[in-house]
Amino acid sequence: MARRLFDVPVVAVNVVDDHQQVSIAHVGLTSPVRPVSESICAVAVAQDRPIILPDAREDPEFAQHPAVVSDEPAIFYAGRPLHADGHVIGSLCLADDRPRAFSEAEDKMLADLATWVEQELDRDRDQREAREVQRRLLPRADVQVAGLEIAGHCQPARSVGGDFYDWQVLDGQLQVVLADVMGKGLVAAMIAAQVRTLVRGTSPFNSVAASVTRAAVDSQDDLDDAGTFVTLFAVRIDPRNGEMEYVDAGHGLAFVLQPDGEVRRLASGDLPLGAMAGVGWTSRSDVLAPGETLLAVSDGVLDAFPTAEEALAAARDLAALSPDPSTIVEMVTERVKELTTSDDLTVLAVRRETT
Amino acid sequence: MTEWQTDVSDGVAVIVCPARVSMAVAASFRDAIAAAVAQAPKVVVDLGPTAFIDSSGLGALVSGLKTCRQAGGDLRIAGAGEQVRTVLRLTNLDRILRPQDTVEDARRDW
Repeated sequence: MARRLFDVPVVAVNVVDDHQQVSIAHVGLTSPVRPVSESICAVAVAQDRPIILPDAREDPEFAQHPAVVSDEPAIFYAGRPLHADGHVIGSLCLADDRPRAFSEAEDKMLADLATWVEQELDRDRDQREAREVQRRLLPRADVQVAGLEIAGHCQPARSVGGDFYDWQVLDGQLQVVLADVMGKGLVAAMIAAQVRTLVRGTSPFNSVAASVTRAAVDSQDDLDDAGTFVTLFAVRIDPRNGEMEYVDAGHGLAFVLQPDGEVRRLASGDLPLGAMAGVGWTSRSDVLAPGETLLAVSDGVLDAFPTAEEALAAARDLAALSPDPSTIVEMVTERVKELTTSDDLTVLAVRRETT
Repeated sequence: MTEWQTDVSDGVAVIVCPARVSMAVAASFRDAIAAAVAQAPKVVVDLGPTAFIDSSGLGALVSGLKTCRQAGGDLRIAGAGEQVRTVLRLTNLDRILRPQDTVEDARRDW
């Protein structure tokens, strides 16, 4: 875009350190890396000032600069420093191997473009940080519970959302939690971190419902402040008899896949966390029979299947192909990825072994 | 920028939503609700034109509901289509945002 705007052969966004300049985005350069000694941008960065050279050969300071006398000379050069957090980190520059006039209006346009690039770099960094927070929310180790096969996967979208899942063993029982913070970016990821920690911390001493309620009450102010809410499904499974205690907080996408091909849904009328102060959450019961698989997915699945019923039908079709939880998780993820990628997708499956 | 058309009459503000209420417009939607509440804390959100709402749009509705109630009013939704009703049902948010068929239905008894 910049190249068209200014009609120059070379446009580059550079990150400059003490030794080299790396062009993180460029057109018209033969090599994206060059030593600072050969870079005019390095001067603009070191001195934190814009440099405009309509004809560098006539400029006393730059006439003998390596970039001007090279095989690919920068005869015309216009560059502006780029900042992040108040520090100069690089430059945006235009160059041509012929002299060129640079008007005041063009200078203003280059300044605007530099500001825009700074904002984009900033946003990009926010995205990376949010992704890192989200990655840290996922269990680092597999969990082993005799009698249960467990698999989970979280596929982050391009714009990071607030999906997470977690599992922990409590007194021989397996607890798994799948939650989705409405909204995207760093705020959603941080709220997800908070809810995860609260549920994890309160679970050993409380029922699932009491733990979710505590987490909701403790998060209410932050959720109000961020104008968001959290849908959540939490279940505790006793591997000895398959007894399940679960809370569905507006999540609505948890199913039990039966060996006979039928599917039943685990749901309730409870609200998401943060939707309204002063409401409670209740534990419900079900039994995971030998050979049955509990499947919970995040609402990313709704991008592919518009209703819970359609998602359920698709899950039933996939589950018929394999009883193995990690295969089911893989297949659901693949299937949804084929159809859409706009939201995070989290899939959890727990199967009770038959013997 | 999405234009949010708001009409205030008889102490009720009616906000008409666009075809897609998604992340892209969630912030301006919140602003529109806040501006409406400043005029009348009884707000009807007309979702008649809306074919699609995402989680950010739902977030804006829920925080709008809180804003209205804090101001001593309420927020009601009208004309929600199938997709909107589906996500409200799925998240159980239809308990606190009960869809009314028309704006007139939503205004009744206010």
